[in-house]
Amino acid sequence: MTVYTSPDKRTDLDGLVEHVRDRAVVAVGGGLSSREPMAALRALIRAGRRDLVVVGSAHGIDIDLLCGAGAVAETRESYVGFEQDFGMAPNYRRACESGAVRVRDSCCYTVVQQLRAAIQGVPFLPLRSVRGTDFLVLNPDYKTITCPFTGEELLAVPALAPDVAILHAQYGDARGNLRIEGPPVADLLFARASKKVLATVEEVVTTEELHARGGVTVPYLYVTALAEVPLGAHPTACYPHYAYDRPYTAAYLDAAAAGGDAFRGHLDRFVHVDHATYLARIGGEETRHRLASWKDGTEAWMALYGEVS
Amino acid sequence: MITECTLGEAMIASLARTIEDGTLVFHGYGSPLVQLAMQLAKRTHAPNMVLVAGATYGVDPDPPFLAPTSNDWVVDRGAACSLDIEELFDLGGAGRLDRMFLSGLQIDGWGNCNVTLLGEPEALRLKLPGGGGGCNLSCDVGAVTLWTTAHRAAHGRFRLVDRCAFVTSLGQRTADGVPRAALGHRGGGPDRLVTELGVFDFAADGHARLVGTWPDTDVDLVRASTGFDLIVADRLAELPLPDADAVRILRELDPLAIRQRELRAGDRQRTFALRSAR
Repeated sequence: MTVYTSPDKRTDLDGLVEHVRDRAVVAVGGGLSSREPMAALRALIRAGRRDLVVVGSAHGIDIDLLCGAGAVAETRESYVGFEQDFGMAPNYRRACESGAVRVRDSCCYTVVQQLRAAIQGVPFLPLRSVRGTDFLVLNPDYKTITCPFTGEELLAVPALAPDVAILHAQYGDARGNLRIEGPPVADLLFARASKKVLATVEEVVTTEELHARGGVTVPYLYVTALAEVPLGAHPTACYPHYAYDRPYTAAYLDAAAAGGDAFRGHLDRFVHVDHATYLARIGGEETRHRLASWKDGTEAWMALYGEVS
Repeated sequence: MITECTLGEAMIASLARTIEDGTLVFHGYGSPLVQLAMQLAKRTHAPNMVLVAGATYGVDPDPPFLAPTSNDWVVDRGAACSLDIEELFDLGGAGRLDRMFLSGLQIDGWGNCNVTLLGEPEALRLKLPGGGGGCNLSCDVGAVTLWTTAHRAAHGRFRLVDRCAFVTSLGQRTADGVPRAALGHRGGGPDRLVTELGVFDFAADGHARLVGTWPDTDVDLVRASTGFDLIVADRLAELPLPDADAVRILRELDPLAIRQRELRAGDRQRTFALRSAR
């Protein structure tokens, strides 16, 4: 494990994904409908990265998109779906059911303990839970052990150091300090456990401004490179800048459920284009204003979750 | 004046009744009925419950409305503070988490749940989204309330099954019948199962036992939709419904009626007359 000391780590999306190799174990930041590093994942797909192993807790369109683009070989996620909003993740399902993606589902605390083992530099950490469930069948690398102090049976789960964590934060500075506002989900654990951390941020600001905004969430020494990418989490939310884009997500899921040419059409239109073109295609300033309207009050915020026609 | 409640509101009230005041309670994501049950309990009989919301890990949030996604700032509004993901699961591991809520596409008679896959791991028939932290918490948390809105057998297929294709979260016994106490887990396992057809407790041997039905369901309907041997309590009760005040609270909490999305289309129209209005 190394630390990253360059005083200026700024790059662009293409430069960012050069740090990811085929077959990499990738921890994707954010979770469910919030702060997933979607622009970086689209860049990863454009760069043709494949056979990735994805690890994490609760995910949605991020992992579904990677699966739909054929970039994933194995999943060790705890959840990939769209809750009661849209239900199952069509590309993820299809890829798992066809055998294209190997299923090694995990569970949140198991992942937490595996990451913490890597963070601490120990080969494993114990858990009481999981024994008695079928996760031991999916994950033969879990071992039951006897505690040398109490004689209790416990489960040992191996250290997990992802090759790369890909995060999206609201703010960062040139050196790579990141400020995440709102729930960090597993991003801090991912940052500490991973060999490299690649970040996109809504805004690059000075270190002084980061401090004025409340301080650093992820210290720069973990961060390999960062790129300023406004709306870089779209269509997931990145409050306070923008809410979740529900109509875009509904349209995405229509294409994903149809698969084939319909989904290839989605990839051509929204993924195999640079970020400026993407922003224009999602509706440009009009969309940015719509998704920022949550600040106008409860009625405006609720309107963003209304029925999709 | 509120004179009736929907099935969803009745189920929420039943889920809320499993919460004791002064306890630490957690809900996961994708479960509007449970989010509302915890908020209802906090506003009625359990004001000193520590309410931890899944996905955000916010403590005691007071959202202006319920959103269809759980990791959203709207459902974190008003939170007194926030836990880290590891902090929440550490609370479970250390025995401080008193109750949580779990569900499954399949649920067996011991309360094991499957939200992972159908078929074999190497030959999947259906990949489900997965269990989040449910596996760990089902072992660690003091008590578990189970629920499903899809008990009624459809197309000859049971959701309450004799055996789950995959055990995502642990019930009172393993699929092979080993009692959870033999595994040395901290938690006591499921003590309640609330469905759109009725409510079960878990008998001393760890098996689900029907204790009540809704005003429009009966034992025969439950039996016809249950794939494991149905055990029925000696005295079967018609389930208590929420009072008008509780229904009003729920409607204020969820103006977008996200709670209806969790129900099958045919169950969304089911309503029950409240006692005071009868």
